[in-house]
Amino acid sequence: MSGALKKTTGITGLAVAQNPHKALGVLYSKILRTLEKMPESAAYRKHTEAIIKERAAILQTTPVVQEAEKKINCGQIEEVIIQAQNELTLARKMLTWRAWEPLIKEPPSNQWAWPPAQPVEQR
Amino acid sequence: MSSFLRQLIKTVRTSTVKSGVIANLARLQSTEAVSVKETRPTVRKSDELARTQLVDFGKYVADCLPKYIQKVQITAGDELELLIASEGVVPVLQFLKDHHSCQFSNLSDIAGMDVPCRPYRFEVIYNLLSVRFNSRIRVKTYTDELTPVDSCNGIYKAANWYEREIWDMYGVFFANHPDLRRILTDYGFEGHPFRKDFPLSGYVEVRYDDEKKRVVIEPLELAQEFRKFELSAPWEQFPKFRNAPPAVEEVKTNKQ
Amino acid sequence: MAQPLKKSLKQVKPILSLDKEEARKRVLHLYKAWFRQLPYIVRRYDIPKNVEQCRSKLREEFTKYDDIKDVRVIDMMIIKGQMELKETVNVWKQKGHIMAYFKDTIEPKPTDFLSKFLTSKD
Repeated sequence: MSGALKKTTGITGLAVAQNPHKALGVLYSKILRTLEKMPESAAYRKHTEAIIKERAAILQTTPVVQEAEKKINCGQIEEVIIQAQNELTLARKMLTWRAWEPLIKEPPSNQWAWPPAQPVEQR
Repeated sequence: MSSFLRQLIKTVRTSTVKSGVIANLARLQSTEAVSVKETRPTVRKSDELARTQLVDFGKYVADCLPKYIQKVQITAGDELELLIASEGVVPVLQFLKDHHSCQFSNLSDIAGMDVPCRPYRFEVIYNLLSVRFNSRIRVKTYTDELTPVDSCNGIYKAANWYEREIWDMYGVFFANHPDLRRILTDYGFEGHPFRKDFPLSGYVEVRYDDEKKRVVIEPLELAQEFRKFELSAPWEQFPKFRNAPPAVEEVKTNKQ
Repeated sequence: MAQPLKKSLKQVKPILSLDKEEARKRVLHLYKAWFRQLPYIVRRYDIPKNVEQCRSKLREEFTKYDDIKDVRVIDMMIIKGQMELKETVNVWKQKGHIMAYFKDTIEPKPTDFLSKFLTSKD
């Protein structure tokens, strides 16, 4: 597909991807499907969808791997695949955590005060 | 008394010396935006662009994880801190590691802090580094002696020994840690040395006993009268830093 | 009236046990584990004690904390006891650490006035 055949990524333990476009396409559609289960108003969903759609669009318009890497500008295509895998696991976990809900617990007053607030006499 | 004196001195100074007044005005303005450009060669220049980026990033993360992030702040001019509820350690760290625009793949350090006067006396502080974006972030949470914190060993393998260290030094229990045991103190050691209520000399002393032909551990008693230290001085220690910007600036997030 | 009631109903995150019964079971479990390991401990470490003495010491160490009722405190002590058992059984500890339980080199504190006066440091 690309002109010169890529032999190595230069990163230990990271093999050259055989068909990155296909792999990424699958991952991105999986991520988008996971995101759809979140509410529309969730900021995480909005931001992640924007990132994923941008990358997917770049991949669709540029079949040459090197050019796509340049346009995405986030490392080699193999690293981009790893990022997508991470995002997928994160999105699935976010679903179980329901992280878009309002704050779970307010901090005790003065918990974050610095220098520390002096103790007040109880009762 | 001494603090009153200090204030008196300050007001006298500012009212007589004209430059003092100007400097104070500058300080008031600096909470809005740092408008005065730093030109002195020995003082670190503040990078406005990096700062605004950090502020934006702080807002972004708080937007994405409203459930866990209590406060976002910038300390020392250019260090971003997320203050989170202790339930959110795993989600927040997982987000910071795996999200496309975070990628904080390196856990540089976990630190502990003890402030006995707070209801939750311990702070656990995670220092993260993003190699991809060359940026650092600090995540702080709080706990007390008996509240377990979730271990982040499943996210960062580096956390294993750091959490053991915190457990050993402060006695903060990490739930779901695969191998939580002492790392720095001696076997049979009692107490947690970095707690503020741990005496400087320790509780026991260790010596070799010639009769028993072994090392013996004995309780240590150092008699000392009760002392109270007055740590504030009547004079101003760092007059040159009177106009320094505040150490902590809160970043306004959407929910506030 | 409302204030102390609110305080007693404070919700906390459990460490291991959800209620007293569970904590009790864990304590007994730990005690049995120690009890069963004692013969091996005595054999492995070169200590001038027999199994009987070690058993009474074990009982003493457990009954020392009889008055602790808070489930979370008990849990924390169980965790520490478990760690100590591991350190002992794996022979990470040495003779001195085991003998530290017996405190046989520590002189008892004086009780009568004169010897208190003679040994006083301040």
